[in-house]
Amino acid sequence: MWKYLVKRFLLMFPTLLGVAVLTFVLIRVIPGDVVELRYAGDRGSVSQDVLDKERARFGLDQPLYKQFGRWVLGVARLDFGESMWTGAPIWEEIRLRFALSLQVAIMATAVAVVLAIPLGVLAALKQDTWIDYAVRIFSIAGLAMPSFWLGIVFILLLLVVFHWLPPMIYTPFWQNPWENMKQLIWPALAVGYRYSAVATRMTRSAMLEVLREDYIRTARAKGLVQRLILARHALKNAMLPVLTVVALEFAFLIGGLVVTEQVFNLNGLGLLFVQAVAHRDYTLIQALVMLVAGCFIVANFLMDVGYAWIDPRIRYR
Amino acid sequence: MQGRLARILCVAVILMLAMPAGAQDKPRPGGELVFVVPSEPPSYDAHQEETFGVIHPMAPHYSTLLRVDPTDRTGTKPVGDIAESWTISKDHLTYTFKIRRGVKFHDGSELTSKDVKASYDKILTPPAGVKSLRKEAYESIASIDAPDPGTFVVKLKYPEQSILLNLASPWNWIYKADILAKDPHWYEKNVMGTGPFKFVEHVKGSHWIGKRNPDYWDKGKPYLDGYRAIFISASAAQVAAIRGERAMIQFRGFSPPERDQLVQALGNKIAVQESPWDCLNFVSMHHEKKPFDDKRVRRALSLALDRYEGSKALSRITLVKDVGGIQVPGTPYATPPAELEKLAGYGHDINANRAEAKRLLKEAGVPDGFSFVFKNRGIPHPYEPLGIWLISQWKQIGLNVRQEIIEASAYHPMLKRGDFEVAMDFQCGFIVEPDLDLPRFISRSDANYGRHKDTVIDDLMHRQGRATDPEERKKVLRQLEKRLLDDEAHVIYTLQWHRIIPHLAKVKGWTITPSHYLNNQLDTVWLTE
Amino acid sequence: MAVARVPVPEAVEAAPPRALSRWLGAAREFCRARTLGAVGAAVIVVMFAVALLAPVLAPYDPEAVDFAAMLTRPSLAHWLGTDSFGRDVLSRLIFGSRTALMVGFGSSVLGATLGAILGVGSAYFGGRVDLYLQRVMDVFLSFPLIVLALALVAILGNSIPNLIMAIMVPMIPRSALVIRSSALAIREMPFVDAARAAGFGHARIVLRHMLPNVMAPYLIMLTAFLGQAVLAEASLSFLGLGVQEPTAAWGLMLRGAAVEFAETAPWMAIFPGLAISLSVFAFNLFGDSLRDALDPRLRTQ
Repeated sequence: MWKYLVKRFLLMFPTLLGVAVLTFVLIRVIPGDVVELRYAGDRGSVSQDVLDKERARFGLDQPLYKQFGRWVLGVARLDFGESMWTGAPIWEEIRLRFALSLQVAIMATAVAVVLAIPLGVLAALKQDTWIDYAVRIFSIAGLAMPSFWLGIVFILLLLVVFHWLPPMIYTPFWQNPWENMKQLIWPALAVGYRYSAVATRMTRSAMLEVLREDYIRTARAKGLVQRLILARHALKNAMLPVLTVVALEFAFLIGGLVVTEQVFNLNGLGLLFVQAVAHRDYTLIQALVMLVAGCFIVANFLMDVGYAWIDPRIRYR
Repeated sequence: MQGRLARILCVAVILMLAMPAGAQDKPRPGGELVFVVPSEPPSYDAHQEETFGVIHPMAPHYSTLLRVDPTDRTGTKPVGDIAESWTISKDHLTYTFKIRRGVKFHDGSELTSKDVKASYDKILTPPAGVKSLRKEAYESIASIDAPDPGTFVVKLKYPEQSILLNLASPWNWIYKADILAKDPHWYEKNVMGTGPFKFVEHVKGSHWIGKRNPDYWDKGKPYLDGYRAIFISASAAQVAAIRGERAMIQFRGFSPPERDQLVQALGNKIAVQESPWDCLNFVSMHHEKKPFDDKRVRRALSLALDRYEGSKALSRITLVKDVGGIQVPGTPYATPPAELEKLAGYGHDINANRAEAKRLLKEAGVPDGFSFVFKNRGIPHPYEPLGIWLISQWKQIGLNVRQEIIEASAYHPMLKRGDFEVAMDFQCGFIVEPDLDLPRFISRSDANYGRHKDTVIDDLMHRQGRATDPEERKKVLRQLEKRLLDDEAHVIYTLQWHRIIPHLAKVKGWTITPSHYLNNQLDTVWLTE
Repeated sequence: MAVARVPVPEAVEAAPPRALSRWLGAAREFCRARTLGAVGAAVIVVMFAVALLAPVLAPYDPEAVDFAAMLTRPSLAHWLGTDSFGRDVLSRLIFGSRTALMVGFGSSVLGATLGAILGVGSAYFGGRVDLYLQRVMDVFLSFPLIVLALALVAILGNSIPNLIMAIMVPMIPRSALVIRSSALAIREMPFVDAARAAGFGHARIVLRHMLPNVMAPYLIMLTAFLGQAVLAEASLSFLGLGVQEPTAAWGLMLRGAAVEFAETAPWMAIFPGLAISLSVFAFNLFGDSLRDALDPRLRTQ
């Protein structure tokens, strides 16, 4: 097993490198750069000389491989540089927003799991009854509605019915948990509902498969209490694919919630992404992509570990 | 429902217009003003930036030499900020400003003319590596001097009517000379001014907080204890913030349906101030591409637009309203409506106009159903609605126009390259003043994207800038307008933007002006509860 | 215990089973046993019909501006009301189905197919090819979707083909991953090696043995992507990166003015939102039931 895990661990690095190169090239292909955008106003007819000097300051006039090399060396020292738009250190820009996005992702995943597992198991047990249909319709409804739509409806409902609006400023959880929850519970619910849809279906089909396994039938024939069968055998094995889905979706939630953040006015990574691309802030984009991709790759790896631990057959591939 | 809404709006607007600004109940000290800012400042140095994201949260920390009278709705009257008074020499070439005594920086040190000179040196002749975006606006200045701590002298090369307003620019913050001498980049990341509010904190992506400056030179002001600016980019969230009464005002502007939403939801807790805006979208046609090199075609495009009907309809859904010429309606140099009607495309008989347009097109050899591409920015207000309107109007004279949206950051480079036939351009000024609003139409201007070459316009611009008599200047400006929009139709003005500021009624002491860069120092603002 | 159901066609066919009758039989069985899926399929068929017949069905030109009729509520003249430019909402909805289907089908078919090709190739050739392809797929999988979409739109511009590209690119690695694991299962089977030993070419083995077995996951991925593609178009248009005015597209109809007028003219937002939700719903229901039907282990109930 260790050999397998070490191999998976080592494979993380070429993937990260690949992501870095792809980002580097991709954002430089987009027309326009941060210098042009800073002085894009028509009133300030800034002289070409000033523009060139600015470009040199950011190192934008160097050949691509040199720029990349400089950046990689910096990353090796854990120095991601400064934002090209504001000049502030990258970590300062990202810190608070990352905390917020992470918290929303965790809460949304919790909501999704709390909804999905009981509902999925229920639908599997009562397959093809109206309960099954109801659960499937409920979960697909979560998938079908555009995410921003759900958010706008939420806010309107809160305003019109309760005359209340969530706080506009982010308070970290350890500072004031109540204020923090008041703001973040709503996007967590909206996003969690959507993600429970996928997890519910996964749970349902995984449960269905497992319930037909021979050893379950044997256990039933032997007369063990149904609950015990469920708890001990079915759930554990059904969890494998569900775990996959939940882990992958969680990683996606960090930095992927652009529209939700806009609607709920959350100061998160999604909006930072959009702003950074609009500003062509290369250093910030690169750092953000590495962060998000890193989360995803690590989540993947942890999932591999989980798989290998639960299902011995996988270890020997 | 519509009737009731209209009535509420009428009452709100009448209330705002009927009261002379400032002549309300007595200002009450205390309270924190919470307002929304749609975008964040990239750096803290106003000399190097041009976004309102810098002005809105930061202007309260600074003073300028002169400023625009915050109680004047036209935003065209210069008054002194740290300049107590000034005298103008008979030849209009020397301006001598008397600097107030007792103005203190937030660190306690006293401001003298030395600081004013250092700041203006930075603006007029920035040191290497520092940009100054408004350098070109001060070409008329020959020299600046600080002969003694209480006097600041500006000498011009030639008489210029607009210099006082120019010096009242909201961007010309006065910095501390000592700091600038040590590090000209210091102000990019730090705040040290003489304004009515001191800097407390800036949390990126979240908010900006300022607190009252007890040593402000204008005793008794500011009334507020402090302010909090919250950065919210999505406009739906901004409206929700005010509607939920978590924020009190937003200083840029809301669209008409957003205003209606707030009025309907909050009733008399909301006050609405409206004003024509010193911003305008105009259509630029590339003078070197056929058939737009023919002035008949350009005039036809302008004649096709039913501006008055368009104004009625579009003012319900987006940020435009008034039909204007080269200056914001209601300001000193604006053309009165009776005269404006005489220009091509500004007449009320749209059928006659369109018949004339079709005739001109035929004469110029443009076939019926002629197709071209109109490039526009993908910004919801008011670019998109204006684009849809323009296309539907041009259809009426038999033109088949296809709209191509160019992404916001690629737009300006596209205009500069001249990679367009017909494109939407915009003109936004921070003070209504011909010298500040119109230089782009000079033939050699970098912003003349349509690449017209017209010596008559160049000459008229020059003459209006040097005119010392306001009446004479008005005459020259009339001629300029006729040449630009009618005879040659170099550009096509659409409709004047309209600034709508709905705010909680408890916010008092703030008067709307045509510019969203003005009147942001917040020293005159107070809260009723 | 539920009665075991044998797929009807095989029991009933007296004549030698011809492909068409087998398909029809399967379809009938599908409708009977899986009503939800059948409903979904019906909605999809209606959508197609509407999109094809759009010029005939739509009462007005979807781009015709009529300020005199702006913001009118649903009435006899305009069944679903008009938007802020006086354009008929129903007509825009009908023509919008064209955009939705074009973008939806275009990107999901291309994405699923390209992914399937890569997945099968990766599984079949194994070794180095597999290793490198997997890494490349991993890179694209980990790449944040939003940056990819923003970048692609900024580079390529805002037209429908470019939108299809932008939505399709993230789909390819996801499809490749799933197809690859199915294909791997086949690859492991001894008959593949036997076939190679017998001298059959790569193409024949892939086409005759691997492809039919990955059909099921391929179709499931396809239907899953369909719903996602429609939603992606809506989100991208909402952000201003998708289809542009004055084209009629459901996501575009939800942008800006629809939100501002949500309380005074709710019909502007309700109907496009319903259209999107309904179509995604239908795609998902159909895909769900298709999956249940095609999964060999679940066929005997």
